[in-house]
Amino acid sequence: MSEFFNQYFDFTVMGDHFSEVLEGFLKNLLLFAVVLVLALTWGLILALIRQLPGKKFIPLRGLTIAYIDVFRAMPLLIIILLISGGLPYLEFIPKDIRIPQWFGQPDPFWYGALALTLVYGAYIAEVYRAGIEAVPPGQIEAARSLGMSHSQAMRHIVVPQAITKIPAPMLNELNSLLKDTTLVSVVALGESLLIGREVLAETFNSSAVMLAGLMFLVITLPLARLVDYLIKRNQGKVTRGAHIEVG
Amino acid sequence: MPEAMVKLAGIHKRFGELEVLRGVDLEVAKGEVVCILGPSGSGKSTLLRCVNLLEPPEDGEIFLEGHDICKGPNSGTGEQSWELDFVRQRVGMVFQQFNLFPHKTVLDNVTLAPRQVLGKGRAECEEKGKALLERVGLSDKLNQYPERLSGGQQQRVAIARALAMEPHVMLFDEVTSALDPELVKEVLDTMRELAEEGMTMLVVTHEMGFAREVGDQVVFMDGGVIVEQGKPAEVLDNPREERTKKFLGLVLER
Repeated sequence: MSEFFNQYFDFTVMGDHFSEVLEGFLKNLLLFAVVLVLALTWGLILALIRQLPGKKFIPLRGLTIAYIDVFRAMPLLIIILLISGGLPYLEFIPKDIRIPQWFGQPDPFWYGALALTLVYGAYIAEVYRAGIEAVPPGQIEAARSLGMSHSQAMRHIVVPQAITKIPAPMLNELNSLLKDTTLVSVVALGESLLIGREVLAETFNSSAVMLAGLMFLVITLPLARLVDYLIKRNQGKVTRGAHIEVG
Repeated sequence: MPEAMVKLAGIHKRFGELEVLRGVDLEVAKGEVVCILGPSGSGKSTLLRCVNLLEPPEDGEIFLEGHDICKGPNSGTGEQSWELDFVRQRVGMVFQQFNLFPHKTVLDNVTLAPRQVLGKGRAECEEKGKALLERVGLSDKLNQYPERLSGGQQQRVAIARALAMEPHVMLFDEVTSALDPELVKEVLDTMRELAEEGMTMLVVTHEMGFAREVGDQVVFMDGGVIVEQGKPAEVLDNPREERTKKFLGLVLER
């Protein structure tokens, strides 16, 4: 048993490498924050394109659905490797873009950010879609009958209501996103997992990797409770709403 | 006779295999109140939704103040060549399920469309919105959210919201059907006042008393066509058609 503890929970190893792992974890958080903004925006754009009405948007809608399907079907790790292993060699793209070093972050950071945004944008688009489709069609009809255009109805009526219906599934996606930032370690971004693995390679001890995992728990465990709370609260709302309609 | 406010000619509408409207002709003069009766599935709500192009008809012509809105010059504003802007800023609609915007206060429900669609200033819209809400007897509810209101109050907000766009024609689609019986009167009273002020109204309803007192014309629909139409007293008291007699018998028996 002590062998097990020494392998995974050697406090000396954890203590020795704490600041490095923490610094790596902050890199995970930074990547998460950047992708959070990008993917929430990209996902909303995709979801809105998917809702465009009329025959003339059939090709655009089809393209968007294909994008969403493909990027949800592909393993994220493969997308990361396709981008980091290919983009730098596409010489028709300006160097600042194919080997980005923006805001003092190295290029693996941006390859990871791009891959995560492409994939999580697709997942998040589906979450938005669920919210949009949960808004009763009478809302759009009322907005349209008042003379609002489709985009005005979306902006003022549908999207604000859709967002209030999806906090729990959205937080689930963001929870996965935070954890998946560790995948960018494969392209040598110095985040917590990579640092943990370097320690593992030197010392044959897993405690630094475990430490990285524990740091994630500090954030993801409360998030899981929050999701549960939101789901429960939402169920309460639904019951109350039904009660009002009956009464 | 002056030019009709709304004129429908040969309106056809189908949903897949189902032909809901099978050639409807109707003329509504300015200031006239037309009540549309009929069993469920007779196409009366669909007819109403054709008038503001929520359900564009497949065939037929709709003239609004003399303009053929099914093929107007402003093509490209919606699917095909419907003149959506022209129509929806002249035709107001009130729904059975109210369809108030739950995330907006009562006042914001009323001011949103004039501000966004007509581009009017906030102060001007709020002043007008308050006046409209006072007119429907809800000036004490300005900052409430719709869920705090009774069904009758919500429906009166919905009427005020439609009026804020200064429509020339109002469509009422079974607006009292979802209300508790004791709340029906307040909504009908609001509609009666509106009629007295000269609003042109198309009213799909099961309220026979309202049709008799307020209606200038009563239209009975069944199976996607107009079976009978005329003055309320003629249609309601001396129906000529068997189908009208049967329907009225069932409704009035209750």
